[in-house]
Amino acid sequence: MFTTSSRFVIALAASSLLVTCPLLAHDFWLEPSAFRLEPGAAVELRLRVGEHFVGDALPRHPAMLAQFIAAGPGGMRPVPGQDGKDPAGVFKVEQPGLVVVGYRSRHSFVEQKPDKFDAYLVEEGLDRIAAVRATQKQPTGLVRELFSRCAKALLVAGPGAGSGHDRILGFTLELVPEKNPYMMRAGSALPVRLLYEGQPLAGTLIVAMNRADPSIKVRARSGVDGRVSLGLSRDGTWLIKAVHMIPAASGSGAHWESLWASLTFELAGPPAMRPAKKPRR
Amino acid sequence: MIRRRLLLPVLALLALTPVGGVAHEMGSTRVAIWISADRYRVEIVTDAQALADKLAAASREAPGAALGAPEVRGFAERLRERVTLAIDGIPVDPDVSYVVSPAAHDIASVVTIQLTGPLPARARTLEWTFGWTYAAYSLTVHRPDQAQPIVSWLNGGESSAPIDLTGPAPVRSRFQVAARYLRLGFAHIVPYGLDHVLFVLGIFLLARQLRPLLLQVTAFTVAHSITLALGIFGVVAIAPSVVEPLIALSIAYVAIENLLVRTVKPWRIVVVFVFGLLHGLGFAGVLQELGLPQSEFITALIAFNLGVEAGQLAVIGAAFLLVGVGFGHRPWYRRRIVIPASVLIGCVGIYWTVQRFTP
Repeated sequence: MFTTSSRFVIALAASSLLVTCPLLAHDFWLEPSAFRLEPGAAVELRLRVGEHFVGDALPRHPAMLAQFIAAGPGGMRPVPGQDGKDPAGVFKVEQPGLVVVGYRSRHSFVEQKPDKFDAYLVEEGLDRIAAVRATQKQPTGLVRELFSRCAKALLVAGPGAGSGHDRILGFTLELVPEKNPYMMRAGSALPVRLLYEGQPLAGTLIVAMNRADPSIKVRARSGVDGRVSLGLSRDGTWLIKAVHMIPAASGSGAHWESLWASLTFELAGPPAMRPAKKPRR
Repeated sequence: MIRRRLLLPVLALLALTPVGGVAHEMGSTRVAIWISADRYRVEIVTDAQALADKLAAASREAPGAALGAPEVRGFAERLRERVTLAIDGIPVDPDVSYVVSPAAHDIASVVTIQLTGPLPARARTLEWTFGWTYAAYSLTVHRPDQAQPIVSWLNGGESSAPIDLTGPAPVRSRFQVAARYLRLGFAHIVPYGLDHVLFVLGIFLLARQLRPLLLQVTAFTVAHSITLALGIFGVVAIAPSVVEPLIALSIAYVAIENLLVRTVKPWRIVVVFVFGLLHGLGFAGVLQELGLPQSEFITALIAFNLGVEAGQLAVIGAAFLLVGVGFGHRPWYRRRIVIPASVLIGCVGIYWTVQRFTP
């Protein structure tokens, strides 16, 4: 676990190095039209791929979509949407309470030159894989990688109190907030747990960034119980992400397989101290 | 209008992607390149707000500025930071213009960017790289010589395969056409025309003197030139299933006649002429398969015929140097060379005749 001062140093390093140069691999997150809703209101969900919290919308694509679900007080149901359309999903939140939306993609495939691949491992903190590659003889030529996305967004209908924020959707790689961020204040820490195939995943880099200044990254590695505590310094939309890599299954045609988990939510303080609602663009 | 621009292409492209396969993360950005004789034009259609955010992030500005017409200062310069257009591997500097279509109903605001510039006359390839998208985008290449554009998917920042600018095969000069068909005609005798070679050898074996040899060769040449032309112009059309067995029969005939008579008789010239007509039809069939350029039709026809002629003369010349010079006037020439060779040629001719007559 990092102390506040070391976290600050890492954040500075990240902002100076990464902000201007394009990253080698891209984040994926769910972007709802609003995180806070009135019960009965419809919400649009965009799939975003990008870096530093700036991204492109992906239209809904049947070949890419493995699971698109919403779990709320009324139970779990699929998120409907029109193929080829952005936003990829639209649904109505009926009851007050917390709603966990999840999107899991099928595999995509990417090839990179070995030096680019190694730089990407460093970028994403995939030290174990980098160590394996450094000690073992690697095949020459392009490095082939399968990747898939496990994105979640935490929405709230009504005042924001209640439970359900830690609902587990059963994704291969899943970030689970262990406190309700809609009842938190800026400046406090959010405990988050990382699960891989339902089990805690230790030693994985987990990064948080705020939309207002995504160049500042809060970075920490998960402990043996898969937990990190992320200091969320300010209000606004937060993106938490984690990448896990495993050797690709034989016969898949790839060398490695990566899984990309993300979690988006809004931090605005408990209802009593929330400022007047800002108009969204 | 805007709906058509973004949604319809996406829907059309959904159909191209096999469901269940390993797909790209397909975004809504579309790039099209139009190649004309002397210019290129690239059109990028992408989400205006997303592009504005990316431009802002890249230059460490606060996100959220809209991409209205005059707002983004130095748009072209900033766009070029992640766009490369290279002709023959050398990056060029296109003119940049853009139009922002306002958002309508539930459709996001879209920016259409045009990149244009000249294509040098001898340009061979064009390579395209677009780094302002994190999702995969479709690249559509329109070329004047292709009715259907070519669509491919590229990841953001990935370079396209070199796009061929040379277009259809360049128009060849008369001399180039003549040289090409001369070679084709020759190759149709040596090495590809064993049946014609055997026929010519059959003619050669019976004629010990130059005069009867020249008479036969001339008769054969005149005859096959006539039917080659008539066949090509469509005046005479006989199916290969008839012509090919008759050519085989002609080989057997000259070989057998070589065994029965000792000198070239007048009827032999007539028979060679008739068979020459058949061989000409065979050449016409081959030339029709090869195709003749519309612009240099006569040149190609004459060159092909001359090539065939050169092939025959090469066969006779080789045979003359091999056996004619040394042994042509020896008393045993007929017994040891003409008869065994004619028997061999005759057997092959009969075998081919039977083979070609049987369907």
